[in-house]
Amino acid sequence: MAIRMGFVIITSRCIDCDACMVACRAENDVPLGHTRNWVKSSGVLGQFPKVREVFQPGNCMHCDHPPCVSVCPTGASQKRADGIVIIENSKCIGCKYCIVACPYDARFANPETGKADKCTLCLHRLEQGLEPACVQTCLGKSRQAGDLNDPDSIVSKLIAKYPTRVLLKQVGTGPNIYYIDEPVSEIPEGK
Amino acid sequence: MELTWALMIVIYLFTAGLSAGSMITSNLAFLYGGKDFERVSRWGAYISPFPISLGLGVLLLDLGSPFNAYRLFMTLQVRSPMSYGSWAILLFTVLSVIYLYLWLPEKYQIIGHIKSSEKWKKRLAIFLPFLSVGVASYTGLLLNAAVSPLWKAPLLPVLFLVSALSTGLALVILIATLSPWQRARHKELHILTKADAGLIIVECLIIIIMIAMGRLSSASEAMAFGSLLYGHYAWIFWFLIVGLGLLIPFSLELMELKDKIPVKWALSFTISSSFLVLFGGFFVRYIITYAGQTNGWF
Amino acid sequence: MSKVYTWDQLFSRRQFLKGTVATAALGATAGIGLLEPEASMGLSNSPPQSPAKGVKYVTTICEQCVWRCGVIAKVENGVIKTLEGNPNHPNNLGKLCPRGNAGIEAMYSPDRIKFPLIRAGARGSGLWRKASWDEALSYTAEQMNKIKDKYGAKAMMFNSTDNLSQPFFESLLKAYGTPNYGTQRSLCFNSMTTGFLYTYGTPQPGTDYSHCKYMIFTGRNLAEGISNNETQEMIDMVARGVKVVVLDPRFSKTASKATEWLPVRPGADSAFFLAMINVIVAEKLYDKGFVEKYTQGFADLVTEVQEYTPEWAEKKCEISATTIQRIARDFAAAAPAAIAHPNWRTSNFVNSFQTERAIAVLNALVGNWAQPGGLIPDQEMSTAKLGVLSHPPFPLAQGIRLDGVPWKYPMVPLAYGVIQTMRDNILTGKPYEAKGWLISRQNPVLSIPERQKTINALMKLDFVVVIDIQASDTAYYADVILPESYYLERYDGLVPIKNKIFIRQPVIEPLYDTKSSLMIYKELAEKLGLGEFLPYKDELDLLSRQIKPFPVSLEKLKSDGHYEVENFKEDHSKDFEFQTSSGKIEISSSIMAQMNKKAVPTWNEPPRPEVDHYYLLTGKTAQHTQMFTQNNRWLLEVFPVNRAWLHTSVANKIGVKTEDDVVLESEVGKITIKAYVTEGIRPDCIFMVGGFGHVSKGLKSAYGLGASDSALHKTVTDPISGGSSLSETFVTVSKA
Repeated sequence: MAIRMGFVIITSRCIDCDACMVACRAENDVPLGHTRNWVKSSGVLGQFPKVREVFQPGNCMHCDHPPCVSVCPTGASQKRADGIVIIENSKCIGCKYCIVACPYDARFANPETGKADKCTLCLHRLEQGLEPACVQTCLGKSRQAGDLNDPDSIVSKLIAKYPTRVLLKQVGTGPNIYYIDEPVSEIPEGK
Repeated sequence: MELTWALMIVIYLFTAGLSAGSMITSNLAFLYGGKDFERVSRWGAYISPFPISLGLGVLLLDLGSPFNAYRLFMTLQVRSPMSYGSWAILLFTVLSVIYLYLWLPEKYQIIGHIKSSEKWKKRLAIFLPFLSVGVASYTGLLLNAAVSPLWKAPLLPVLFLVSALSTGLALVILIATLSPWQRARHKELHILTKADAGLIIVECLIIIIMIAMGRLSSASEAMAFGSLLYGHYAWIFWFLIVGLGLLIPFSLELMELKDKIPVKWALSFTISSSFLVLFGGFFVRYIITYAGQTNGWF
Repeated sequence: MSKVYTWDQLFSRRQFLKGTVATAALGATAGIGLLEPEASMGLSNSPPQSPAKGVKYVTTICEQCVWRCGVIAKVENGVIKTLEGNPNHPNNLGKLCPRGNAGIEAMYSPDRIKFPLIRAGARGSGLWRKASWDEALSYTAEQMNKIKDKYGAKAMMFNSTDNLSQPFFESLLKAYGTPNYGTQRSLCFNSMTTGFLYTYGTPQPGTDYSHCKYMIFTGRNLAEGISNNETQEMIDMVARGVKVVVLDPRFSKTASKATEWLPVRPGADSAFFLAMINVIVAEKLYDKGFVEKYTQGFADLVTEVQEYTPEWAEKKCEISATTIQRIARDFAAAAPAAIAHPNWRTSNFVNSFQTERAIAVLNALVGNWAQPGGLIPDQEMSTAKLGVLSHPPFPLAQGIRLDGVPWKYPMVPLAYGVIQTMRDNILTGKPYEAKGWLISRQNPVLSIPERQKTINALMKLDFVVVIDIQASDTAYYADVILPESYYLERYDGLVPIKNKIFIRQPVIEPLYDTKSSLMIYKELAEKLGLGEFLPYKDELDLLSRQIKPFPVSLEKLKSDGHYEVENFKEDHSKDFEFQTSSGKIEISSSIMAQMNKKAVPTWNEPPRPEVDHYYLLTGKTAQHTQMFTQNNRWLLEVFPVNRAWLHTSVANKIGVKTEDDVVLESEVGKITIKAYVTEGIRPDCIFMVGGFGHVSKGLKSAYGLGASDSALHKTVTDPISGGSSLSETFVTVSKA
């Protein structure tokens, strides 16, 4: 089966430390004022003292049907055969159409390059056999990335074992970040 | 909040509609109005290349990499409205310039007088309405494709088309009324005003249906349309669009049509109503562009 | 005399773009020409090359906080691109926290101090002149010797905060002969360390998270006060379904991960633990064998805790009696794999020493010492021993200490000190006048309560010299700033952790005219005529002597980043030899008895705020380290400013919403800060993250951001532990 790269994010293991955001900034020279990934907080829910707060890390969902790719007028936004959504900078004219088309707000206009900018799943690291920077640094092992079509990958094993959800399913983008909210006591071995 | 697509894009969407609308006005006046409507046809032809050129200029400034803009014309991405839209606008702009040239008095046709200019005028006038409809509704399709809860509305291209016709027509009325020479006569204006009033009714209907459909859709869409009715954008919607942009010009036009206006005020009434139509049309683009970005899915 | 410059002229603001060689060069060369780097730095205007070419990896140690995580730096054409956790390092197991990841930003920051500076205007005026190292060190030594000759060595104070070269700083101060040594300890966790020291004879036992089945945190917020490997272990523990109880007046991120959050009344956590002991004693849930064999004073405890019933405690700490009972029973049932965490600081009241003692005793009662899932005895025994440098015996320090240890605070260990009292006595001039202050990598202006007093103290002195990488608030008030090389540009002393020895080494050559503190201390010692006390030629000479006992070359250590001692055996023979006067775990403390104080853990009624006053709580955030990283723009991206947490009812009362400005006022000061309205805090408390509100204009990104708790905090000192009882400050709140 073809490779389908994506993420599993275990929200129960996220402490909202934002190491992933800083690691991404360093790894990908993300300019100040913008970010390729995030951790969103629910805020404190409920009433004192019965309260709770949950954290939801995210970034480009590398969708199966990415609207950012279909709206791109120059073919700069592309979905690779391995599922990774990337931008070919030389083709990008900076029209920002893809940015407004992304329902996850995963793209931004990079003021330094004049191009749209987004998570590349750290393609340059994957090519060297390394995990994406956000996954590598995650203290809680909350972020996991890999081939969703490979049953031996960590992400597939997690999806097989725990109930998952995706964001904005109703929009029909087919996002490839699978969220697990349940406690995950052990991260399985895998690719 | 800083938006990705801001005023520049609003201007672009608005001016594309203006050009398309005035082009259609010119074409139809030429095809069906004959000699009586020559001035209207001429003004429409003179106007139409300019708003869209301004819009394209502004759009170019809004690009992150403007020097890369030629890339638009090195490909045709069939799924991207912006891609085929760019080709359509390019063609439209070129043809509108040719059309304008053909309408110029002979002494100004400096590149050379085309023998069969009337024939070409006619051919263009038959073809251009189709292209103009394409250009006007393309702006709606452009937003449609960017799946935001507000922009997803299937009637958006129709709304933009009707608004384009209405504003284009209003611009022709306005310029024709204001122009010191070849000022349009009462009879022509009467027909145009009638048409514009009709368009306003249609526009109102579309807005009502769109909002009703939106409110009955998913929570995200209901919320997005709700922001127009009673949320962050309510004052723009009710005051600037519904009030100043639709109801008041409609009432003014109605009074004009019923000849209830003293002659000495006729001119200012015409100017006011057409200006307000333009004003409202601008804010239709504004509110859709802005509210579409501030109301996401949830 | 050379030209005088303002901060802005010296370090003009430039667009910072990390990662391109061009901008690193630009950052160094633009401006007034003073900033031109050495040609040997290898910086050029060529664009970055393809990653494969000119890439190298250097293993070193992080210094974004004091935890000492292992780092692997990636260098491309002389520019550090990224930092990644070293998987071989036990302190972080390959991961870095946000601060560790952001280490590069401060290095390439235009706010770095790029050469030695000597004050050229009034103190704090921000007028400086550039000096050579020779001039700056000679001037410093001259001033220090003048003070010594005129007033004696004791008139000079030496301050430093936990860092790898601290032993050499201590050599310098001992050689100079002053008794006045200030650390950050009394602002941090003196009550915990003294509490455990006087119970177990060890100040900071470890905790076995990986086998623990029941954990009670009371002031150890591992999700926001990140200690990398412990934070990871905490997350794993929560994921395993371990029962985690968090006592905190505020709903911290650790509380959001816990199984149970108990919003305890500040200062009354002591009652909670005394009541737990009451239940465990009354219901005989303790480990009788362990208590008999390894502890002393149990009978006294039984008498003392009789009155501390859960019902009594409920009135004090506002946690229901049934909850206390349930937790006590469940905790005892899970023992010995149950820990009441020693924490860092509990409520931070004067009674916190008693709280820590109660916690220490509670652990002892359930016998979790050296058991899987329990407390871990001191690991000092099981750590590789480095080679040492021989030097002449230090002169005997003359005179008593300014900070009151031990003459006012007999129970505070000398190594900890009481920094806030030191500051107060600079102002009082009692028992004698202080004249000079050498401060290395510490920022008392923002760390000690009553900021204005600290500034006044600095203004009173004859001479202040600061060693730092950036213009901290304290450096801003100095006479001389000696710029230290950034941690990615320098060596420090080696770090042994169990069987491994780690090295901090330069990833790149220093960008500017800066030195390692090892060399600053040594060269200053030489100028003072004390060179023989820091007997190393340079950093490499020192490190090679530290590594001498082991069969490994310095080159190998440098390229591997660490050395693993072969056939190393952990020594557990002394796990049950408690270093107390009785040799047992002292439920009843001999030292406390000697001091004529209640020897078993006891209840001290904490003060309460008056009507319309609130407890002021301060704490950490995961994205910043104390008052050290607020100028780091990558960290400001993820935590831009501190805000005052107000309970919804309080916010409604004064009519504010989140982001509105509020004024907090205590007995000693007043600040304006943005509000954060939440249900996640007790209605009688206001919380703010510390470290913001910088007054140094040399920290251009941080200057004026947020507000400092040091402007509000009263100076209240626990006479036993010397700890600064920060939370005994009460404030009013109003709409700004």
